[in-house]
Amino acid sequence: MNLKGFLDTALTQALELGIGSPDDVLRHVTPELLSVHLPRPLWARLLTACLGAPRVDAQLVIETVGVANLCEHIPVAVMWNCLSEISTRSLGREFVPIQVSVVSRAVVSVGSAPVTRPAPLSMTPPPDEMPREAPAPRPLAVGPAIPSPSAADSLADVVAALEADESAASAPTRARTPTSQRFRQTNTGSGRLAATNSRRPQAVAPAEPPPAPMRTARRGSTEVSEIASEGVEPEAEVGRDDWKNALAVEDEQLVDWSATGEETQNTDEYGRKR
Amino acid sequence: MVESGLEHQVFAPTDVLAHATPEVLASHLPPELLGKMLAASLASGSMTPDRVLETVTPELLAKHLPHDVLWACIAAAAERAGVGGDK
Repeated sequence: MNLKGFLDTALTQALELGIGSPDDVLRHVTPELLSVHLPRPLWARLLTACLGAPRVDAQLVIETVGVANLCEHIPVAVMWNCLSEISTRSLGREFVPIQVSVVSRAVVSVGSAPVTRPAPLSMTPPPDEMPREAPAPRPLAVGPAIPSPSAADSLADVVAALEADESAASAPTRARTPTSQRFRQTNTGSGRLAATNSRRPQAVAPAEPPPAPMRTARRGSTEVSEIASEGVEPEAEVGRDDWKNALAVEDEQLVDWSATGEETQNTDEYGRKR
Repeated sequence: MVESGLEHQVFAPTDVLAHATPEVLASHLPPELLGKMLAASLASGSMTPDRVLETVTPELLAKHLPHDVLWACIAAAAERAGVGGDK
């Protein structure tokens, strides 16, 4: 609940709409209250404005300090009485101020009562000590059970225990389990990794014939000779009879061009074709 | 010294407030004096150096303000009068 924000908005609107006046505010926010609750930088700003202004009035004070700063630093009950008076007056009702004993730096009774300063700390008795509840035990952290060294352990015992640990570490009682190979071995067979190769011997695989050379889509003359020398028939050679059969033409399908007279018409007197 | 300087017009209330600026006053004066000063200004309708020094007397100034501030005011007035150049 932002009560100060509400009071700031309400009072600002009341002043802007003319429902209330700066004098209404300063009737509650007295110079004494300001002196107690307003921070010193705001006081410096206020004094500067007052010394430079031709007239000092409530409007100058409110405009210099600002409603927001008033609502921030002046006790809420005082600002509420200010807003309540403006509201009840505009509604034609009787204003009944709330009696508030305030606040941080001073005990202020709202209204026309004088401002009294709080009693010094040396006069006030100290507050009664409240019995503190024992805090709940924190959960223990789960971890290895390490015995704590006892106070009776002497330095010689500690050194002896360390030496015993070192001797135990130098002569292990259990062979270490070989781990899997972490790196791929090189094919060179040289180096430390090759010397410590623990893989089982394997049979020598027969050497594969060298792969055929890559051939291009169009063959040159040298390739044809190669194919002939290798005794491998190209694909066209394999289907030699097939394509001949597919292209076979009977004699009836042939045209006898000599029977037509076109050839004689197109030749000149020397018998050459035009 | 401040009261004597004001009485003999070696410096004026304006000269005092030129050194005892609003920031200095707001920082060192007790709250009741600040409230009284504002109330007097609101009652009279203005806040002038004379009225400020009527509320905050030279004795109160010497009581609450740092002495080097007041001495600077006196030294500046003396320098203006051609007496000395002590800063």
